[in-house]
Amino acid sequence: MACPFCGLRPLEEFLFRKTVPNVGAGSGVHLGAGAGVDAGDSASAYAQVYLRVDSAEHSVEEWQHVAGCRAWLLIDRNPSTGVVRSVALLGGAQ
Amino acid sequence: MKRASRHYSALSLLRARLSGAGFWRPLWTGNRLEQAYDVVVVGAGGHGLATAYHLAKDHGIKRVAVLEKRLVGYGNVGRNTTIVRSNYLLPENHYFYEDALRRYEGLGRELNYNIMYSPRGVVDLALSDDDFPVLARRGNALRLAGIDAELMDRAALEKFVPALAPRRRRRFPIVGALVQHRGGTVRHDAVAWGYARAASALGVDIIEDCEVTGLHTTGNSATAVQTSQGEVQAGAVVFATAGHTGLVGKMLGVPLPIETHLLQAMVTEPVKPLLDTVLVYVAPGHAESYISQSDRGGMVLGGHIDGFPSYTREGAWHRLEDVVRATVEVLPQLGQLRLLRHWAGTNDMTMDGSPIIDRVKYDNVFLNAGWCYGGFKAIPASGAACASFVAKGTPPDLIRAYCLSRFATGHLLDEPGYGPYPVKL
Ligand SMILES: Cc1cc2nc3c(=O)[nH]c(=O)nc-3n(C[C@H](O)[C@H](O)[C@H](O)COP(=O)(O)OP(=O)(O)OC[C@H]3O[C@@H](n4cnc5c(N)ncnc54)[C@H](O)[C@@H]3O)c2cc1C
Ligand SMILES: [Zn+2]
Repeated sequence: MACPFCGLRPLEEFLFRKTVPNVGAGSGVHLGAGAGVDAGDSASAYAQVYLRVDSAEHSVEEWQHVAGCRAWLLIDRNPSTGVVRSVALLGGAQ
Repeated sequence: MKRASRHYSALSLLRARLSGAGFWRPLWTGNRLEQAYDVVVVGAGGHGLATAYHLAKDHGIKRVAVLEKRLVGYGNVGRNTTIVRSNYLLPENHYFYEDALRRYEGLGRELNYNIMYSPRGVVDLALSDDDFPVLARRGNALRLAGIDAELMDRAALEKFVPALAPRRRRRFPIVGALVQHRGGTVRHDAVAWGYARAASALGVDIIEDCEVTGLHTTGNSATAVQTSQGEVQAGAVVFATAGHTGLVGKMLGVPLPIETHLLQAMVTEPVKPLLDTVLVYVAPGHAESYISQSDRGGMVLGGHIDGFPSYTREGAWHRLEDVVRATVEVLPQLGQLRLLRHWAGTNDMTMDGSPIIDRVKYDNVFLNAGWCYGGFKAIPASGAACASFVAKGTPPDLIRAYCLSRFATGHLLDEPGYGPYPVKL
């Protein structure tokens, strides 16, 4: 994997955190048959905390170069081939 | 034309031996895709097949189809490390998995098919003083629920698993273990084949090479599924596609709290009987790992997921190394063995590590998913409960906690306590 600061480094130096949903928060969100109470606030918290992207072709993911420069990265990958399309610094993260 | 597989008994197998190959018939056969079904189940893994079986058997729903894009057993049901147990900490989980384990105990008889249930015990090792009280707490929770659990100290463990030599001086001393004696292994392919055979005998159509690619809906209901073999009308649709649930979310237009990660397993060359139980442990510095010995003698090794989304079914090398290192940490005598085979499966990881069985978006569309890396042991309970949900329209108590809305209401079932990530960060 290529870190913008450290160059090509072994995969095990990196830690994956989460996929970043490309849906706007709340769009298409469905809570299943058991839902009913309080769909408002909890639905948007749900979207922000728990929803993920699960795509065989394309996913945008947050990673950290933990065993290197420790920068947080936004990585655009193809999960079916492992090919990385782009790596950028994750803005605004710690 | 359907020619059902014959009933197996000691007598019929003896007769088969005498009469030669003529006795044997395919386990399921003669299925042609019809134009309409009462229930279409998508995915012929363990959960899809068990759901179809119970729909036909318990609820008398006769026109049931299981549509499978590859082969019966091609998915995780044929890739797992075959461990069954019910020793979960959380009540919602241990009652559910206990139901599954009880059904596994009688499943060979129920399906008239030898699933090779081997209650050899599942041994959770404590490799540090801190691990031991954590195991004790889990054991107490289980015993309060009437589920078998035995806490063993080093001396008892030495008798139960001599291969471990727990008194041997080592970097990480073995402190003790929590043992579930009724846990063990079940032949994974036999579960898939046994359910397929039994479902087929009840009239369920099992259609291989039939990929579901879309869902047709009117108002609040699904009316049909689009497949690679044409359109099929459906009174209800059950998605049980395990590591392809992302695609289902896309078909439904519903984002889900699921990512797909790989889990690897590997097996060594066969050796003489060494380990007649299942070891599960977290060696310091490594992810959770487990070892058992197959009937053929190979040591079956597994670990934690790769930890990032992947559909490659290849497996990251550093995760394989981690499993092997953790293995020789606990059983150094295995260090000389060669690995024979290695494989990976795509796991539908939920953001609390527990499954989802719910009706989603439409009145008659059901999702049976999120089995993560532990869904093999769940199959008999999941099939029965999911079929009941589909047939009656309300979920049985056993699976109420597995609703999708728990992520929004905060009723999470986060067994390992990782927070909303499939691996510990
Ligand atoms: C290496 C490994 C080890 C494991 N070890 C254990 C263990 O020891 N104990 C345990 O309890 N669990 C274990 N698991 C987890 C367990 O195997 C899974 O949770 C469980 O098998 C998943 O449910 P299933 O059997 O229904 O899935 P699968 O067998 O994966 O079935 C899903 C099926 O759906 C089909 N499908 C997908 N999309 C479509 C479509 N669009 N149209 C038609 N068909 C489709 C797939 O081809 C597949 O056959 C392990 C998993 C792996 C990978
Ligand atoms: Zn770096």
